[in-house]
Amino acid sequence: MGRGWRSAIFTATAVAVVVAASAATADVLGVIQARQGHFKEIGKAAKALSEQLKSPTPALPVVQASAKQIDALAPQLLTWFPAGSGLPTGLKTQAKAEIWTKLDEFKRDAAAFADAAHKLDLVAAGGDFSAIRAQAQVMGQTCKTCHEAFRQRDD
Amino acid sequence: MTDGPTPRQPGRRGLIVKVWDAPTRWVHGLIIVLIALAWWTESHDQMDWHIRIGCALLGVVLFRLAWGVLGGANARFANFVRSPRAVLRYAIKLATGAKAEADLGHNPMGGWSVVALLGVMAAEIGFGLFCVDVDGLESGPLADRVSFHAGRAAAHWHTVLFNILLALIALHLCAIAFYGLVRRDNLIGPMLTGRKRLATAEGDMQPPLRGSAVALSISAVAAAGLAVWAAYGFKL
Repeated sequence: MGRGWRSAIFTATAVAVVVAASAATADVLGVIQARQGHFKEIGKAAKALSEQLKSPTPALPVVQASAKQIDALAPQLLTWFPAGSGLPTGLKTQAKAEIWTKLDEFKRDAAAFADAAHKLDLVAAGGDFSAIRAQAQVMGQTCKTCHEAFRQRDD
Repeated sequence: MTDGPTPRQPGRRGLIVKVWDAPTRWVHGLIIVLIALAWWTESHDQMDWHIRIGCALLGVVLFRLAWGVLGGANARFANFVRSPRAVLRYAIKLATGAKAEADLGHNPMGGWSVVALLGVMAAEIGFGLFCVDVDGLESGPLADRVSFHAGRAAAHWHTVLFNILLALIALHLCAIAFYGLVRRDNLIGPMLTGRKRLATAEGDMQPPLRGSAVALSISAVAAAGLAVWAAYGFKL
């Protein structure tokens, strides 16, 4: 093989590696952005819900729709965290490495959230505001518990 | 330092003049206490109290802004917000250690520090009203007017401005220490008692104009009313 061939193979390999690496980064970036999108959906629904629950004249349909939306998203949470999509990637995420090093705890927290969200959905369907408020508190606590352990604080 | 007797205080060293009126001192004290409480409650997850304290602080800052227009002479912005040239001249005096005339009220640099502190506090509280926490569950009294996204952005700026505020407070404390240790000018005493003892009677010091009771009432009622109204999301 001549020099020309060798350098062509070298260049092709280098290009392939760079392309593959950036494609992988793009994949991870996509995962992170999709995850953030899902959490923003939950945040929006939780905001709408808590505003109604604070209001002296809460609108039950808004409460029920928000609770249903959270209940629909909560069970998917674990699928948003494939290994290698956390802080160590250096990408813009607040998912701590502990999510994967303490996966059992993370799974337990996620299950507690899904459970609380489902109960909230059921209680909201019942329409009793004091029960809804109590269950919203319980669910909010599951958000906090998990965020304290596994979400990098920026603020 | 001369021990010349002065007509007003015979037999005593120097002349005692009133520099800070009572409302200005109360504002200062309340700001210290309320910022400490706001910080503590936020870091101990007492968000209901954090928001109440923030609204109280809003009232205090609004009062100070009103008092800066209607209040006593040394509290008025028009009397202590000085030109950049005056600030520079004063800074050169400080840097060269030259003996400045005694500062009755805010000096040209201190005046801008007051403006900066009040401005950052006002912005900090303003963003606080619209904040939403990451879970969408805790929120400021006006957060229902904005989207989740905007509320999160407000929370971001609320954090950034708090750090700027802490830096300004640190600078403020350094300045007080500098005056006390280097220039032998105690700034803390007058802020507590309202009175300052001058080493010598320099000129004929008029006691500063006192704010009127009417101005005090208008400022206090307007500020408290606005703060409470904001706390209820302008829904009263």
